[in-house]
Amino acid sequence: MPARSLADSTLDIAGVDFADLVRRYQSMVFSIAQHFLTETAAAEELAQDVFLQLHATLPTLKSEEHVKFWLRKVTAHRCIDFQRRRKLPQVSLDEAPEPMTPAQSSDPLVARRLQQFVASLPEKPRLIVILRYQEDMLPEDIAAVLAMPVATVKSHLQRSLALLRDKVTRTMGQVTI
Amino acid sequence: MTETNKNPNLLEDALRNAVRREDAPEGFVLKVLARAEQQNSAANDAQRTSWLSLFSQPALRWSAVAAVTIAMAIGTIYYRNLQRQRAEGEAAKQQLMLALRIAGSKLQLAKEKVNEINTSRPEPQPQNSSPRSRS
Amino acid sequence: MSTKTCKLVPFILLLAFPAILRAQELKLPPGVEKLASKAKETVEVNMDGPMLHWASKFLSAEDPEERKAAKLVANLKGIYVRSYEFSDEGAYSAADVEVVRAQFRSPEWSRVVGVRSERDGDNVDVFFKLENEKIAGIVIISAEAKELTFVNIIGPLEVDQLADLGGEFGIPKLKTKPQSSKPMAKADKGEQK
Repeated sequence: MPARSLADSTLDIAGVDFADLVRRYQSMVFSIAQHFLTETAAAEELAQDVFLQLHATLPTLKSEEHVKFWLRKVTAHRCIDFQRRRKLPQVSLDEAPEPMTPAQSSDPLVARRLQQFVASLPEKPRLIVILRYQEDMLPEDIAAVLAMPVATVKSHLQRSLALLRDKVTRTMGQVTI
Repeated sequence: MTETNKNPNLLEDALRNAVRREDAPEGFVLKVLARAEQQNSAANDAQRTSWLSLFSQPALRWSAVAAVTIAMAIGTIYYRNLQRQRAEGEAAKQQLMLALRIAGSKLQLAKEKVNEINTSRPEPQPQNSSPRSRS
Repeated sequence: MSTKTCKLVPFILLLAFPAILRAQELKLPPGVEKLASKAKETVEVNMDGPMLHWASKFLSAEDPEERKAAKLVANLKGIYVRSYEFSDEGAYSAADVEVVRAQFRSPEWSRVVGVRSERDGDNVDVFFKLENEKIAGIVIISAEAKELTFVNIIGPLEVDQLADLGGEFGIPKLKTKPQSSKPMAKADKGEQK
């Protein structure tokens, strides 16, 4: 169960405009899909489908917090389904080429490499990393979204970071701020 | 030992930067609203007949009256929403008209070019039907 | 020049798809897609079936032009436009335009107009896709000295609808059959269907 109760209502959902919700959360939903699928067209299609589902489900949602939770959950599950249906190719962590010169952590090249490395993680760890670092979510909240035990989330997170750190170190050498 | 090993937060900061939120493509909201509208039209037709049959029961009739009253009270909120959607629809309409005008002007240009070429061609000279014989 | 200076900005909704769009028939090479950064004015319109349907709800029955537009788009599945206007000549590559033209040298497409003008450098091609005596698709490629325009309209469209719109939107009364009695200027007759 998440640390915060979903019953905490900060906004009466009946007064919320659907278009407003789309505007507010389009970046969040699209970005989760984009970082997971690494294909803009597929990510946009998936994000649209999520909001269409929200449109049909909105009367059953109790608060804006509930909407946000629901969007993250549905986006995450749709990402996994989408990938399995489409069998999108994954760049293997080992196949990503190694650059010649050291890079800065804020360097776009570093960011691009890290995106590739993240995209090569298995599905659940990939989602966990995205939800942790894009959405700044606590492991407890990630566990609720993905319907997994908290311990499993933490374990995936730890292993993924170790894997990414190892890859960064081997391929990019010294990474400085 | 790399910096990322000395300071694990560096990797996490780099990850936050790498997977930060990005803007959805331009026009995303409009596209979603257009598809939602389509979805609504399809659903309304199916719902209409089943809704009407419920009103034969008195309890449901009174509930319906109460619901209508509440709906009117919050009607202004939806009116504002409608105004916003209307503005977005107007923008889409302008885009449509612009596209048609551009298509039309280019077809017009094609027609003018063809006419120019046809009018600038010399008239074909009439050919002699039979050769003259010499005596 | 950035599109920010474009006077059409209030009317442009840059529905920026990736370079290859799922529904439109016209695929632009990367060289053309990059022209937006060089153009002083860019128009980009991507409207698929649902968008057209939604936008057409806002067309006014009182306005004759909008009334005609409503009839025209009633069954359309898409309208896609890319138009670039440049300050100087020579801003785009003829080879890139030829790549686009080549996409329509196929049995399902007929080139009904193909004009090459050496005098002012304007080249205009109009392609129709006909299915069951209706226009299933129109592609217009207009390559002028300082302007490059691609238009893709996905039908179906009644021939009469297009023909009757002479004067509205500047769309002329076009004949859909190739004018075999008047050969096209500088056109490859092999492309004429």
